[in-house]
Amino acid sequence: MDSVVLLQRQLVDYTAQLFNEGFLDDQFNQLQQLQDESNPDFVVEVVTLFFEDSERLLNELAKALEQQSIDYRKIDAHVHQLKGQQLQKVCIAFRNYCEERNIEGCQKCLQQVKNEYSLVKTKLETLFKLEQQVLAAGGSIPWPM
Amino acid sequence: MLGMWKSNAPDEFVCIKFDMEISEGSSLSDVASSTTNSSGRRQNSAEVKEGQSFSMCKRLVQMMQGNIWISLSPLGFAQGMTLVLRFQIHPSYGRAVFSPGTSSEQPNSNPQFRGLHVILADDDHVNRMVTKKLLEKLGCEVTAVSSGSECLSALSSAENSFILVVLDLQMPEMDGFEVATRIRKFRSRNWPLIVAVTASAEDNVWERCLRMGMNGVIRKPVLLQGMADELQRVLQRAREQF
Repeated sequence: MDSVVLLQRQLVDYTAQLFNEGFLDDQFNQLQQLQDESNPDFVVEVVTLFFEDSERLLNELAKALEQQSIDYRKIDAHVHQLKGQQLQKVCIAFRNYCEERNIEGCQKCLQQVKNEYSLVKTKLETLFKLEQQVLAAGGSIPWPM
Repeated sequence: MLGMWKSNAPDEFVCIKFDMEISEGSSLSDVASSTTNSSGRRQNSAEVKEGQSFSMCKRLVQMMQGNIWISLSPLGFAQGMTLVLRFQIHPSYGRAVFSPGTSSEQPNSNPQFRGLHVILADDDHVNRMVTKKLLEKLGCEVTAVSSGSECLSALSSAENSFILVVLDLQMPEMDGFEVATRIRKFRSRNWPLIVAVTASAEDNVWERCLRMGMNGVIRKPVLLQGMADELQRVLQRAREQF
């Protein structure tokens, strides 16, 4: 019984931390709201899909930047698809570099984006693992918070 | 005081029983006393009148396939009244609106969305999945497509015309504006209803959408309340036009 409470505590604290640091926002709350009995893994499914899509996008971006003659319009279109509040500044810079046809600038931005996604992914994986631990210990998830 | 049980007819009726206690000096005892002997003459007419009103109630209740009766104490005073009403259970169609979910609130269990057929067009995988779920949560029947051309073919093969299209404006091959233009060109001015979804924060997006014949606009990020409010507004407008 104690271990469940402890785990739940950890989960709540960690989630609050992620909100404070800006990794999670209202949209995450909404995902939880949309999860129900007919779709008990909705949040995990959406997040997984998000990272799969993002990885594909980042790979396309990397490939596009390696071309002999770079198609900056295509790169710009890809950047446009990137999601995430925290990435806004980087994306604006990225698109500016595209306009200026500044390959180094683009590559720098791409690396920043990759790092950010990697960070978010790790954090969310930790979150979901904590969730699993709570459920495995027989507790329930205190969503939404 | 309130009890509920199912009758023998399976899944067709539910009976609700109201048990009321009559305390001393309450007016219900006057009603009941029409069946007992009265003491003074002055009370007679009042009692008779009230006796009549009870009989009327009884008649009404019985017409509703229920029953009402007074229970008497050993001394002959009314001590309780019981009312039983029978209701027919109707099958519920439509999804998710009244079902309990793990979320404690259903802020938008709005019956007007129940069964509303929505065609959702969004090229982004994640957005499509989330918005679809959101609309289903509101009670809509959703067909999700990933392009403007798929949207147009879904419309042409739709059975009835009571449809609402939720359209992402920023789609790559055929953007939302073009889709809307084509819809308005080849179908009626009023149906289907079209709601645009855009990430643009420009002021004139609203005007531009209206000029194209769209009925509503939702700004990204799409949230449950925002969607519900705009859909409600759009449906209300549509109703007023008929």
